[in-house]
Amino acid sequence: MKKLPLHIKIVIGLLAGVVWAFLSSALGWNEFTIKWIDPFGTIFIRLLKFIAVPLVLFSIINGVSGLSDVSKLGRLGGKTLVAYMATTLLAVGVGLLFVNVIQPGGYMEEEQRIKNRLAYEIWLQDNEMGPSQDGQSFLSDPAYTKYLSEAQKGQQLSQEEKQALDEKLSSAQKQKEASPLQFVVDMVPENIILSISNNRLMLQVIFFAIFFGITIVLVPKEKSAPVIAFIQGINAIFLKMVDLVMKAAPFFVFALLAGVVAKMADSPGEVFELFLGLGSYSLTLVGGLFFVVFVLYPLILKVFVPKLTYKELFKNISPAQFLAFSTSSSAATLPVTMECVEDNMGVSKTITSFVLPIGATVNMDGTSLHQAVAVIFMAQLHMVDLTIAQQIVIVLTASLASIGAAAIPSAGLIMMIIVLQSVGLNPAWVAIIFPVDRILDMCRTVVNVTGDVTVSTLIAKSEGELGKYN
Amino acid sequence: MKQKIPLHTRILIGMALGLIFGIVCLQSPALSSFTLDFIKPIGTIFIRGLKMIAVPLVLASLIVGVANIGDISKLSRMGGKTLGIFLVTTALSITIGLAIVSALKPGHKLSEDTRSDLIAEFDANAEGKISFAEKIQSRGPLDPLVNMVPDNIFQATTSNSSMLQVVFFAILIGVALLKVPKESGATVLHFFNGINDLIVKIVQFIMVLAPYGVFALIASLIIEIAGNDPSKVWELLNALLWYIITVVIGFAIMMVLVYPLLIQFFSKIKYLDFFKGMRPAMLLGFSTSSSTATLPVTMERVEKHLGVSPEVSSFVLPLAATINMNGTSLYQGVSAVFIAQAMGLDLPLSAQIMIVLTATLAAVGTAGVPGAGLVMLVVVLEAVGIPAAGIALIMAPERILDMLRTMVNITGDASVSVVVASTEGELDEEFARKHADD
Repeated sequence: MKKLPLHIKIVIGLLAGVVWAFLSSALGWNEFTIKWIDPFGTIFIRLLKFIAVPLVLFSIINGVSGLSDVSKLGRLGGKTLVAYMATTLLAVGVGLLFVNVIQPGGYMEEEQRIKNRLAYEIWLQDNEMGPSQDGQSFLSDPAYTKYLSEAQKGQQLSQEEKQALDEKLSSAQKQKEASPLQFVVDMVPENIILSISNNRLMLQVIFFAIFFGITIVLVPKEKSAPVIAFIQGINAIFLKMVDLVMKAAPFFVFALLAGVVAKMADSPGEVFELFLGLGSYSLTLVGGLFFVVFVLYPLILKVFVPKLTYKELFKNISPAQFLAFSTSSSAATLPVTMECVEDNMGVSKTITSFVLPIGATVNMDGTSLHQAVAVIFMAQLHMVDLTIAQQIVIVLTASLASIGAAAIPSAGLIMMIIVLQSVGLNPAWVAIIFPVDRILDMCRTVVNVTGDVTVSTLIAKSEGELGKYN
Repeated sequence: MKQKIPLHTRILIGMALGLIFGIVCLQSPALSSFTLDFIKPIGTIFIRGLKMIAVPLVLASLIVGVANIGDISKLSRMGGKTLGIFLVTTALSITIGLAIVSALKPGHKLSEDTRSDLIAEFDANAEGKISFAEKIQSRGPLDPLVNMVPDNIFQATTSNSSMLQVVFFAILIGVALLKVPKESGATVLHFFNGINDLIVKIVQFIMVLAPYGVFALIASLIIEIAGNDPSKVWELLNALLWYIITVVIGFAIMMVLVYPLLIQFFSKIKYLDFFKGMRPAMLLGFSTSSSTATLPVTMERVEKHLGVSPEVSSFVLPLAATINMNGTSLYQGVSAVFIAQAMGLDLPLSAQIMIVLTATLAAVGTAGVPGAGLVMLVVVLEAVGIPAAGIALIMAPERILDMLRTMVNITGDASVSVVVASTEGELDEEFARKHADD
């Protein structure tokens, strides 16, 4: 058992967690699982999160202060942003491709879709939004009048759904009202201690750390030496902490998975039902995400880093991927991502410490892909035909939103509301995909993290700092 | 001249003068409000000063302490011992409380009239505590464990009530420090060592203020307790006199019997030396009624006057200040039974054992919850089926008993640290004899 590599142990923990959850729900032990096992999952996420902020802070300072000239930083920054933008666009493109080819919304009953469509047009009228996106009007077509009354009924949401939706709507509203440069403003901390004491203000921490690192370079060596030594030491200590925590990762992952599944439904049957209801959507999305992780990224890496074989790539980064899947949080996974990329891929510390924290907050390939698939799926479900041009607008808003929404928790759904609104669709539709969102969130976090890894590897390659694969 | 008077005497003088001054103030409303406006802040400043350095002190001293232990198996052994002793002393103190309250039966001496008076008086107050306790009880069984792990360490350091989180990650940092190569850890260790020394110095500065702070605290306390109608306060306290006496006897047994035996049995320190060395911390615990505020002084006394090694004291005392509350537990045992007696309920042995168990668990479970004493009591009452509204009965002397039980808590913390140090060979046996009186 001792000799098994970490990622295998994590997989075992993961599978054991799922098996346990099904067993416990079959035997009626769900409450036990939620009370006595799930908390360990929470503890794991908390451990990783509390390491993340100091690790980001100190490793960025450490990395930047190790630069011999500051102009390199500007170059790195430019490259990083371009690379993140490019991978995000690619991921969204994949999403569009999948959703247009598979047409998951078309698998639903024709009649239901017509009702959906009518409900949509009623909504448009109620809100005086003008004609629908595709310019057609089912309402004025006498062939569909028989569905009208049912369509109106279908509008009603349950009280709970409505409340959840209202919350999301109002935070989306706030997000939209802000000036387009607000996210740049928000990057600058007002009080650095406040920023580091809030996990959501990671971008501010990054900003401060870069600034601090640059300043260290500019101060005479003999003055900055003790500060650098201290920061290097602290950094080493936090990295060691990641090691210590990861030793228990298989157990923690077991607890996480058992808890997630147990909370989702009372019996295994229900879990499957949830999926079947939205099966075509889930499959399309998971297909797209798989494609990005297992085809797109490896392909990009193959082109730029020929020495890195497919097998080695996944061997190197699988611990981070499994962790991303179980925690569904890029920030919580960050410490492990950094370790994998440094120790296994051989990317230099300067680059990982700079590129990965930014990636964890800004780069969300999986989330953007999810946006594209979900929005178009919902449009298909409501028989709204979107032209390619309209779809591209969606892509752009989604990508921009993914940068701006960096600091928002459970950003996925809120961003989706923004996207829906920006193209004149009903934001209430996100309620349709609520039920499966938790699991899909796990999958898209894997893509987000893998995207971060890919970009950092590419940048390391271009800077000639990629160790053995250079 | 003044410098030659030992610290504990100065604190005692401050307390005595505060008491006299407070009583004098009661005679004139103008003087009372002057005291509350201009003297009380000195006491508040004093407590704030101590609390201000508690978190950095715990952080720095624990990191340095754990790193100096140098051996993780020793650390976990110490941890196990510490928690074991906490549990034993807690259970013991509750049992003592139960024994005394069953023997003296203070609840039967409470007349029907006073009982309804008390309930009417403090009902609103009690309700707040009860709803708070409900919130705590609705948490999952493992919540205390989850809450021990911070999700942001900087956030944890910004709140005195998340001391356990600070303890947790300080230990983790210490362990990681042990595991990294010496040369990369050296600067960090050096840094925290320096910080640690600085804080000890700051404690000394703040302690200069101690007699004045204590004076202000006691004077304003007298005025606040007396409120607008001193005679009524006396009436209330008189009605609960037997209850108060019972609690105080319990505390006395802890202080003169249990801890001396514990220390005698496990170490070579004389109890008189222990007592002498801890005097200033005990007095401070009494006047501030806060283990956290007293923590810096407790640590200083235990290290510099009893000869406990910093590795042990920095590990045991912060944990003790948040988890180990012998005085509070004893008080709970007494109060629970007192309330039952006053309400005419009979508590069979099984219910009493239940009280011991729940109170011990509640002590651990509510660690880090501010104002936990009464809230824990509600939890205990509900566990044995006594109406929680009964806590209204014992609200009147709460402030004074809080002061006393903090003193017992702190003495208990110090005893545990001495025992752990002694069994780990980290106690300088001769040290206390020479320095206890400094």
